[in-house]
Amino acid sequence: MPLLASTVAGAAIVTPVLIVLWRSFTTGKLGFSVGLNLNNYLRVFADRDILPMLGNSVLYAAGSAALGTGLGAMLAWIVARTNTPGKALVELMPLYPILMPPIMKNIAWILLLAPRSGILNGMLQQFFGIETLVFNAFSMAGMIWVFGLACVPLGYLFLLPVFLSFDPSLEESAYIAGSRPVHTMLKITFPLAVPAFLSALVLNFLRGLRSFETPVLQGTPGNIKVFVSRVYDSMALEFNTGLATAYSIVLVALSVITLYFYVRATRFSERYATITGKGYRVKVIDIGPWKYVTFAAVFLYFLAGIAIPFVVLIVVSMIPYYDYETFMKFPSNMVLANFYTVLRHPSFITGLYNSLSLSISIAVITVFLGIIMAFTIYRTRAVGTKIFEFIGTLPLAFPPLVLSVGLVIIFLGTPLYNSLWALGIGLFVAYFPYAFRNASGAIVNIHKELDEAAWVHGARWRHVFFKITLPILKPSVGGALFYIFIEAVRNVDVAVLLTAPGKEYGPVTLFEYFRVGQWAEAAAGGVIYLIILIVAVSVAKLAFKMKFSL
Amino acid sequence: MIIKTSMALFVALLAVLLVGKAGHGADDMMKKAAKNAEKAVQKSAPAAAKPAPNETAAAEAAFQKLAKELYPKAQKEGNLIVYSVWDVEHIRAITEAFTKRYPGIKATYWQGRNPEIVTRVLTEFQGGQASVDIVLSDNAPAVLRAAGAMASYDTVQKNVLVLHDPTLPTVSLQVQALAFNTKKIKLAEMPKSWEDVANPKYKGLIALDDPMRAGPLSSMLAGLKDQWKDDGRFKNFIRNLKALNAPVHKSTSAMFRLVISGEYAICMPALLHDVINEKEKGTPVDYVRGVAPIVFPRVAGIYAKAPNPNTAKLFAEWAISQEGQKVIDSVGRESSRKDFKSKTSIESAFPKGTKAVPVTDKLFLEDPKKWLDTYVKPIWEG
Repeated sequence: MPLLASTVAGAAIVTPVLIVLWRSFTTGKLGFSVGLNLNNYLRVFADRDILPMLGNSVLYAAGSAALGTGLGAMLAWIVARTNTPGKALVELMPLYPILMPPIMKNIAWILLLAPRSGILNGMLQQFFGIETLVFNAFSMAGMIWVFGLACVPLGYLFLLPVFLSFDPSLEESAYIAGSRPVHTMLKITFPLAVPAFLSALVLNFLRGLRSFETPVLQGTPGNIKVFVSRVYDSMALEFNTGLATAYSIVLVALSVITLYFYVRATRFSERYATITGKGYRVKVIDIGPWKYVTFAAVFLYFLAGIAIPFVVLIVVSMIPYYDYETFMKFPSNMVLANFYTVLRHPSFITGLYNSLSLSISIAVITVFLGIIMAFTIYRTRAVGTKIFEFIGTLPLAFPPLVLSVGLVIIFLGTPLYNSLWALGIGLFVAYFPYAFRNASGAIVNIHKELDEAAWVHGARWRHVFFKITLPILKPSVGGALFYIFIEAVRNVDVAVLLTAPGKEYGPVTLFEYFRVGQWAEAAAGGVIYLIILIVAVSVAKLAFKMKFSL
Repeated sequence: MIIKTSMALFVALLAVLLVGKAGHGADDMMKKAAKNAEKAVQKSAPAAAKPAPNETAAAEAAFQKLAKELYPKAQKEGNLIVYSVWDVEHIRAITEAFTKRYPGIKATYWQGRNPEIVTRVLTEFQGGQASVDIVLSDNAPAVLRAAGAMASYDTVQKNVLVLHDPTLPTVSLQVQALAFNTKKIKLAEMPKSWEDVANPKYKGLIALDDPMRAGPLSSMLAGLKDQWKDDGRFKNFIRNLKALNAPVHKSTSAMFRLVISGEYAICMPALLHDVINEKEKGTPVDYVRGVAPIVFPRVAGIYAKAPNPNTAKLFAEWAISQEGQKVIDSVGRESSRKDFKSKTSIESAFPKGTKAVPVTDKLFLEDPKKWLDTYVKPIWEG
């Protein structure tokens, strides 16, 4: 049964991919059918410019993934395992930045880091007389900083359950043997979190490879060209999805290489099992005066991840226009016209409502099937299940617009086209890799002895899955649900081709304003959107004690 | 859930087979339609003098007569589906005004960017889907016409249009202007022409729209090339632009925001309605009135397999009529008529006698990649 469910989920992912792959061998400009040929691939291999572009892409993706996942892992460890003061605050602070859509971070950080008009360089000049343009949003460092911040949530949400479900006997043995806390952390704690860390790192790396907004907004003005722009040019200039897919195959190849290293690194999965049959309580480590440093670290992330960009957006949404001089005059020049415009917008509320209802269902289905696929790979004896490692991550290698074309072709001519079902399946395919990698990273940490005890007693798969695996994975499930829901509710790039005329999806106004460059209105929409989510998360966390993997 | 997902997949796989078959039929149709589109010679005129009052009256009479014929048929069809690149607020305002004027018609819309519109319509067209009536956009309809996905329709109000295309009704214009930040540079110091922008003295002050994408700067280049008819001059212009080593943007609107912020002094180019709207709000931007505006058609193209063809025609004609233009003007978009005066019309925004530079190059409009590879890439990336 798990194999069947995984196969069905795998088929849903593979079918649109196969369609776009087929078209890459048969389609030319404007989608004209040109018979079976290799022209698109020959063009890709003859493209002399792609090597330097790939170099930039790998540097950008690896830098952002390392920064974001590393920072996320550190935050997860601080929250789960240390006696950092202000527990309630420390638990909440890393959650809020997840709510801020990456595009909003892009805009806010461009306004902060722009060389000549940016707030930070302006302040250095005004208050310290530093004329040198220290910060530059339009540089590789600026791109890595901004996208790296967007990578933190995955690192945090993937690592937190691991640190929370840690058998302390391993660390205690080290202490008894005379190891110091820092040494124990580096030699015992962190190595055991490797599978979950690598899972998040792989996902963030692949996200970086195909990410488009940051390279377009920050890279192009700095003359930094990334590979994925070739995919988009194939769609935007030649309207040739076949060529776009052929370019995407380079990303698929990179994904396969990355996954190969991941599978190799975690091939002895028993080594990483931290959840065993023995009873224990997670131990909080007293880190002495360092606890103030860890508090400062969480607070600094909170400032960079949401507080500072949020304040920038609030001010930008309330001033007549942005330039440094006008920004610094706030609040004497405050206007509320942008908020009025956004709230008056005909589809702000309907779009938000439509996406809320669908995203909840999609998050539940995706996370559930993600766990089943990971269970099939690591907990069943079926042959050839390792292929699911690749299939489950495959959608991440394709830019969303390419993938959506495959989905549109599937649904065309069927009653599913232009229905909520089509959109739901599209979102499922797009977010499955997050659910799957989260589950596989977490499942590796559960020792097989727990399952084996059940198997020995004659349990069937459903008993093992529902009574043992699923309850133990509860913290990971919470995190993945939260993450996929937040991502799906604001999705634009997958949903755009699958949304039926007359049915807005997502807080369309917000993203439409960003897309058309009305930053002040976009900032106002973003502020309203964030306030709604922050209130919802705070109420859920504080009033209903809801756990987002905490 | 698993059963339902399996069913959905089964249906999906079946659809693949069907679409695969339908695709071949669609290809033949496309080729045929593309040939027809080839025959359609684009007749465009630069911004001309105001038409005589009798031309305005004649256009109005022709529209009213046709509307009388189309409306009962449109009522029977009952629906209008619009795909557009325009802001949702604008599409809503325009379709609501249309349905209010013609009760009994329900309008729905879908909004996407040009590449998304082209991809969606082409995929639907090749899959035989009667999905949309009107494609309201700038770049997308001409490209779709080249693929045979647009029905040819010549408006009865052609004599009052600034730019007329006999196959795609022009309902608005994209007007490009040379904009600048008034805090960063004085009007007297600004370039006096588009060509003057490439003067080395402006190095470090300018931001460029990416000339290698189908965007405003590449369409300007297509317009100027047509107007100059001088290859040497055209190549020099691109060479000098390149020598500025200016930051390049793939989003004109983001570039314009950065000009307002003071990051750059000069915007090459900006859209006139953006500049005028910002100027009205007190933003420190202005534009050089002596630099000829570049005009690009925004059309309401009728889809080749439109499920509601009469409603589509009625909408296109209404949008061009005085009444429709008032609505288009009210959302801040430029009028396509010579006899419609508004704050964003060339007649009001530029000195008397200004001759706009129209973008009418058929190759550029229908195959921007080929045009750019032929005329710009060898110099820009060479």
